[in-house]
Amino acid sequence: MSGLLVKTNNSIRENLWRYFIVAIPYIWLLLFFLAPFVIVFKISLADPIIAQPPFTPFFNESSDGGFSIYTTFDNFLYLFQDSLYFVTYLNSVKLAFIATLFTLLIGYPIAYGIARSPQPTRNILLLLVVIPFWISFLLRVYSWMGILKTNGLINGFLLWLGVIDQPLELLYTDTAVYIGMVYSYLPYMILPLYANLVKLDIRLLEAASDLGAKKWQGFIDVTLPLSIPGIIAGCLLVFIPAIGEYVIPALLGGADTLMIGRVLFDEFFLNRDWPVASAVAIVLLLLLVLPIVYFQKKQAQETSEAAA
Amino acid sequence: MTSNEENFIEIKGISKNFGEVVAVDNVDLAIKKGELFSILGASGSGKTTLLRILAGLEIPSQGSILIDGVDMTSMAPYDRPVNIMFQNYALFPHMSVFDNIAYGLKKEGMDKESIQEKVERMLALVKLEGYENRKPNQLSGGQSQRVALARSLIKEPKVLLLDEPMAALDKKLRQSTQFELMDIHDELGITFVIVTHDQEEAMTLSDRIAIMEEGHFVQIGSPNLIYENPKSKFVADFLGNINLLEAKITEQNDGQIVVDCAALGGELKFNQTEQSNALEMTVALRPEKVMIEKSLPTNDEQKHVKGIVEDFGYFGNLSIYRVRTESGHIIQVSKQNRDRVEQSIKWEDEVYLSWDNDSLMLLGE
Repeated sequence: MSGLLVKTNNSIRENLWRYFIVAIPYIWLLLFFLAPFVIVFKISLADPIIAQPPFTPFFNESSDGGFSIYTTFDNFLYLFQDSLYFVTYLNSVKLAFIATLFTLLIGYPIAYGIARSPQPTRNILLLLVVIPFWISFLLRVYSWMGILKTNGLINGFLLWLGVIDQPLELLYTDTAVYIGMVYSYLPYMILPLYANLVKLDIRLLEAASDLGAKKWQGFIDVTLPLSIPGIIAGCLLVFIPAIGEYVIPALLGGADTLMIGRVLFDEFFLNRDWPVASAVAIVLLLLLVLPIVYFQKKQAQETSEAAA
Repeated sequence: MTSNEENFIEIKGISKNFGEVVAVDNVDLAIKKGELFSILGASGSGKTTLLRILAGLEIPSQGSILIDGVDMTSMAPYDRPVNIMFQNYALFPHMSVFDNIAYGLKKEGMDKESIQEKVERMLALVKLEGYENRKPNQLSGGQSQRVALARSLIKEPKVLLLDEPMAALDKKLRQSTQFELMDIHDELGITFVIVTHDQEEAMTLSDRIAIMEEGHFVQIGSPNLIYENPKSKFVADFLGNINLLEAKITEQNDGQIVVDCAALGGELKFNQTEQSNALEMTVALRPEKVMIEKSLPTNDEQKHVKGIVEDFGYFGNLSIYRVRTESGHIIQVSKQNRDRVEQSIKWEDEVYLSWDNDSLMLLGE
């Protein structure tokens, strides 16, 4: 009898422990994602005023002692009315998409090469991929300014070679933004791709070769389709931060490089229009989250179908 | 048979080094057309390397390989009329059973209708009709093995190489699959080369076996020949159970060697034309060729030794006894349990062991 009681006690304790472990990530998300999100969302529903903080309060105490809630969707409407925002969102998507594509095209061969190299070399190469992280991101983007500017390294070198007789205009263009993004986000592409490619069973390629596939056919038929999860992971890791990127377009881009991160910064710090800035942030989040949720749902569906 | 059929696969002086390690050391071998040939060896004996050289997945350091009279030595795997079934099958995980089997034909550029027809016929051959849309991770071990077999057979190769084809299957399934594999071999008439570490598998399946040790072949022959006439202690010990008993040469004259074998009660005569320089020899005797009785053998002519049962194992169909002879040697005996009665010989029983002189083999090192 007492043995049974002890057992139940133990299982309750075990259950509590299990809930606690599962709760940790939820608490984390609640504190550091959901709570800030709710605050930003609340601000996006306010009007800007000249005050401290610079927006109308959510709760209002009326003269008769009651409470009222003040919300407005003007900020969101404003985003749709002024075509600047639409164009900027679109341009951000375009810039991030092209940057992601180039990162993939450059990152895939690098990841493949590392995954195929012998073990000791592999570790050194991985270290080399990660080493730039040890230097401040801002510093690295600044140094690109030095490389790209009119009398910078690239122009100096090309002039010296005699390939060009006038310096190229590189800095403060979209090209500079692409270079900066591809450079900065390359490790985020290489690492998940490497983790995927290194797991590939070489015997699958041998089997393909045995069955009549040339080397490149084996790559197309076996390596590439099996690396799709790595490609998706890498692309998301690059695309998502790239779309909201502020520092790179601000430092390397021209005045006409429209990116939503810059608009957000300007609304927030220059116009001091917190509600509109918040609305911009919310729309950006929806723009990113909705396709990803849809995509993951579809993928989960496919896996469960395959398992059935 | 023409010489091409007699020497369908010709391996001439093949060696393969991996750095300092010599995996295959100057090996020669001829395999007949349509033969079911096994290469049997412990892990690290070089058998898989040799198979991979045949498939073109390894380039030999030396020597050449001819198949049906054509030099294959430097031909790429995708150009060889050879297919391999990998040990863990190496099925393409992202392709359906149909696409896995059809892969070789697609690479040949065959039209869709012919592919459909051939794959269906192959699915019927390996008894997997109705499985074409499954993915490899939805198959059992036995089913995966059949898909792998179908995939490697679909191009109708001149030679099929099988790397440990049964190693991943459980024992019951292994036995039935062995017979199915033999049926398929008979039906298609393709030359099979099997690499295995499982001597039972090699014995059941093969027309001929090559036993490999440290990159060499130590003996090549039919299962029966190798089992009953092993050339060396290693081969005798590797294939099945055997008693290896020390003996000293006491006399050697033309055609006859007399040895003194303490374990078997003294002098034994062997007809042997080859003279031996060594003084120490080994007398080998298979456990199933020893008779064990509780009473003295009736035939006085027959040699016998007395001993005590030290240990015994009951396996249902047979029992295995370890008997300590009066001279202090251990001899293993296996006895068919022909009668449905209780075990009559047990621990500590005094027993008499006897044998036919023909069963004894005299082996050098």
